[in-house]
Amino acid sequence: MPSAGTAVPQDQLDATFTALADPTRRAIVARLARGDATVNELAAPFDLTLPGISKHLKVLERCGIISRTRHAQFRPCHLEAGALEPAAAWIEDNRRIWAERFDKLDAHLRDLQRGPASDPRRIPPEKPAPPEGRPPMNERSNQ
Amino acid sequence: MSNSAAGPAELVFTRVFEAPRELVFQCMTQPEHLTHFWGPAGTSAPVEHITVDPRPGGVFETVMINDADGSRYPHSGGLRRGRPPERLVWTEAHSGMTVTVNFTDLGGTRTGVEIRQVNVPEFARSPEAQAGFLTSLDRFAGYLATRSAGPNTRRTP
Repeated sequence: MPSAGTAVPQDQLDATFTALADPTRRAIVARLARGDATVNELAAPFDLTLPGISKHLKVLERCGIISRTRHAQFRPCHLEAGALEPAAAWIEDNRRIWAERFDKLDAHLRDLQRGPASDPRRIPPEKPAPPEGRPPMNERSNQ
Repeated sequence: MSNSAAGPAELVFTRVFEAPRELVFQCMTQPEHLTHFWGPAGTSAPVEHITVDPRPGGVFETVMINDADGSRYPHSGGLRRGRPPERLVWTEAHSGMTVTVNFTDLGGTRTGVEIRQVNVPEFARSPEAQAGFLTSLDRFAGYLATRSAGPNTRRTP
């Protein structure tokens, strides 16, 4: 399915990406991935006031990335991993498409540069190999 | 809260190729090359459906065809300010996503290609706003990849 993200409403993706565009909010999400936490626990690693952290939590809560228990006294925050699925799928689609294009482009570039004129390894049929033909020195680096 | 405070999200993909920059740039802008790699695995991108006019205001149009069932995925982008052979920028007509391709000469015959995909509203496209990009969502993608290493990893195509 090459057309990435068509199945997901664009505004939903926008909201998720906007929420995650902030480094503090990403850090909060990363922390919650390890387990639920209270606002105080979440605020601890950051140089932020409780109202400051609450603002971030509201953004995350509004787009459904986190939820907060209504009844418990400390209202721990919980990561709704499912809410990240559409964004994760969109990212994964795009990553895969470009990875596959790059693989093909890599092969195409090798083909192009292996043309009869430029490749010392390809010997025209009429000509014998030069006596001191150097071995191919292409080092392979797959990145 | 002003609009610009909402940081635009960005995806970055990079790869290093063993080829001179001019050649890599040509590959990304000429239909006879694009047809070899534009379609991801399982698709093809017939050369007759590729149009690239690399001038600003020009078009970048392709159609990817699913090899299995013949489904067609047209892609149409309007080209924006670029800088051959260093940079190519287009904005997708259907999604508004802007794709920037940077070609970096790494010396010898190595070229770095960096794809930056952003989906930002027009107001956020100023250089000042772009300087504020701190997202690099690929870190997030990496984090998600770790998380999804569990049982239900594979999503069906």
